[in-house]
Amino acid sequence: MIDKKVLYEEILPSVSQPARYVGNELNSVRRSPKEVEASILLAFPDVYEVGMSYIGFKILYEIVNNIPEFVAERAFAPWPDMEAQMRLREIPLYGLETYEPAKSFDVIGFTLQYELTYTNVLAMLELAGVPLEADARHEGDPIVIAGGPCASNPEPMAAFFDLLVIGDGEEAIVDLMSEVARAKREGAKRADIVNRLAVIDGVYCPRLKNPVSRRVVTDLDEAEFPRKFVVPFLEAVHDRVALEVMRGCTRGCRFCQAGMIYRPVRERGLDNLCSLAKDLVKSTGYDEISLLSLSSADYTQVEELSRKLVQEYADKGVAVSLPSLRVDSFSLELAKELEKSRRTGLTFAPEAGTQRMRDVINKGVTEEDLMSAAADAFESGWDLIKLYFMIGLPYEEDEDLDGIADLSRRVLELGRNMAGKRNKAGRVRVNVSVSSFVPKPHTPFQWHAQNSREELMRKQNYLKERMRVRGLTVSFHNVEASFLEAAFARGGRELAPAIARAAALGCRFDGWSDQFRPDLWAQAFKDVGIDPSAWANKSYAYDEPLPWDHIDMGVSKRFLVREAERAARAELTPDCRTGACAACGACADGVKTRLAGEAWR
Amino acid sequence: MVLRVRITKGEEARFISHLGFMRAFERAIRRAEIPVAYSEGYHPLPKFSFATALGVGISSEAEYVDIQIDPDGPKISVEEAFDALDRNMPPGIAVVAACWYLGKPALASLIEYASYRASGCGALHEAAEEFMAMDASLGTITTKSGEKEEDIRKLVYSISMADDESLEFICACGGRAHLRPDNLLVHLSSIAGVECDVKRSRIHRTGLFVVEDGELVSPMDYKCKDLVIAKGWMPRELS
Ligand code: SF4
Repeated sequence: MIDKKVLYEEILPSVSQPARYVGNELNSVRRSPKEVEASILLAFPDVYEVGMSYIGFKILYEIVNNIPEFVAERAFAPWPDMEAQMRLREIPLYGLETYEPAKSFDVIGFTLQYELTYTNVLAMLELAGVPLEADARHEGDPIVIAGGPCASNPEPMAAFFDLLVIGDGEEAIVDLMSEVARAKREGAKRADIVNRLAVIDGVYCPRLKNPVSRRVVTDLDEAEFPRKFVVPFLEAVHDRVALEVMRGCTRGCRFCQAGMIYRPVRERGLDNLCSLAKDLVKSTGYDEISLLSLSSADYTQVEELSRKLVQEYADKGVAVSLPSLRVDSFSLELAKELEKSRRTGLTFAPEAGTQRMRDVINKGVTEEDLMSAAADAFESGWDLIKLYFMIGLPYEEDEDLDGIADLSRRVLELGRNMAGKRNKAGRVRVNVSVSSFVPKPHTPFQWHAQNSREELMRKQNYLKERMRVRGLTVSFHNVEASFLEAAFARGGRELAPAIARAAALGCRFDGWSDQFRPDLWAQAFKDVGIDPSAWANKSYAYDEPLPWDHIDMGVSKRFLVREAERAARAELTPDCRTGACAACGACADGVKTRLAGEAWR
Repeated sequence: MVLRVRITKGEEARFISHLGFMRAFERAIRRAEIPVAYSEGYHPLPKFSFATALGVGISSEAEYVDIQIDPDGPKISVEEAFDALDRNMPPGIAVVAACWYLGKPALASLIEYASYRASGCGALHEAAEEFMAMDASLGTITTKSGEKEEDIRKLVYSISMADDESLEFICACGGRAHLRPDNLLVHLSSIAGVECDVKRSRIHRTGLFVVEDGELVSPMDYKCKDLVIAKGWMPRELS
């Protein structure tokens, strides 16, 4: 165990948010890693409040800890003030449950949720006292693995992991832990254990560069879902009962990686969800239930489910919310019932400003859809509307940027006119958030280059000039950060030295605008002689090999090419939930998709 | 009906912020299915109130909370509520006593003093004696609106030396007059002429007090009935 006295008396009183590093929360599981057959430290390379918000992280924690022979503990990236203290006083990274050092676990398993956490992964390994490069690890070092959406292009970080799990983790983690336990019983050496794990379905071993097909949960309704969550003392970003109502999305937006790699849609049953909600409210005491998925309003029985939950919990002070409302499936009745969203404003994501551009990206939303949804919202008393747009999309022209400005202004005007009847025009606000397109692997846009940083800056300024209107607030994502994200999303193994160098120079929490150091990153790339724009701003040809070709995420390359071609012609592809099957390849044998109503295909 | 409970904030819980502590308590109420009254409005909130905030890093065995019980809800006895709540507290927080409060004034407005024990303060013993003998002693205190100069002596009720290393003291607490325990320790250090790293001396709150007929009494001895105390637990400020 680490020196708890030093932690409690010397370190914690002097760092910000000390509760991040204490653990001991309700429903956390304490089982000594030494007394079980196999132990894993689930490591999230971001701060506690962020990591504790991810449902995938909670699912894995619950699944492992439901097996008495195993144990899973948690570790998060320490904030820079804490990292400095840990280094100063030689406290290694530790599991929050038993304060055992990370090095004493059989496995350290990182969640790679977004690219800009990569330097935190390295910082955590270093704090753990584990060699950064997989090749440099020896007997006695934990096996370092990773999973999560970024594992779908593992190459930039491949050097640092012994193994990666591709696809859904629910079943894979049990296979892994069981094999570790078995191998340990048989007295296998570390290197042998890694080799034995490498042949498990969906496991990728960077050393072998084995082609791998992702794991997929065929029946989500049967899959394990937590009946209790660890309840943080700090307020997590998403601090509520999150019910994963379905996985996957059939909308087919061409820029969206999640919409591709989690295909096909798989739903959880209504009764199952109600029973989960009941147990989770009881075991956590949370005051909010949120229906989670990429597009919860598409869940076949969303109205029934929300009504049931509202009926059950309204008078118990528990609110029900639906985080991802979409313009086209927006049902005002639903939104009214789920009053929580009223406190925060309503969010619409038209993503692009003109119809042509929305057709290019296959966002099947029309301007009338948006305007009538916004009118509904203003009519029922919302006075804040948030709009999400993206710039730098393939085939974008300046008139598409004009479209963003026009549309935003028109929503504002609409709101003012409607509110004006109630003398509340001054209260109406429209917040516009503009991000830069990042081409992602396994999407129809994976071959496209990201706009150069100069071009993205020009587009941001172009928009700024056209959106100086009272009541309209525009915010832009940092161009340098989107650029890095693109390089790591589409890069190969060549990038690893740059990431290691940046971490050594002190880059941490690159996704946090107040921590991000583009200057240090520029230096890191210079030091190792790598030009990231060779990855971020490169167009690939269809027949050119891609760094992630050996990773099969379910959707076929043929489908992606087809979609890319349709994008070039601004042609829509219908949602396969309601329209024809687009033959993306994700509906493998035996996958259960929709649960209620008609069967899928 | 108002249920008054006394809870602890133990070693592992002492780094939780006051907001986090309140949230943890609110969730425990919900898990315990205490028939609490809810506020009206869009987002009904359970009606309960803490006596006073506790600084991050300070542990306590004397945090008081009043819970408004829903008059139309199921009947519940103090014992039942005590057990249900204690079973549902997160690690590091325990219920040590509960009773019905029959008075009118809100808990927060009643509290006038708090008692603390600070360990690792051996070097301050002499300064403490000196300080108590003074009529007035000007020093810096932290208030909601920032730091200010104040007569600290008049904010301190008593100080005693429990053993070689610790100090026990009772000082003003609440809306009328308030002294943060770390402010006192810093002040005593400056009198003693020693460096005092206050964060390191462990501070523990041992009691909160209401003044009744000029006497300091526990909030549970003030217009309360049906007191239930945890088995084997002894309030330290009375011992
Ligand atoms: S295979 Fe067809 S039905 Fe299945 S997700 Fe792909 S497009 Fe939809």
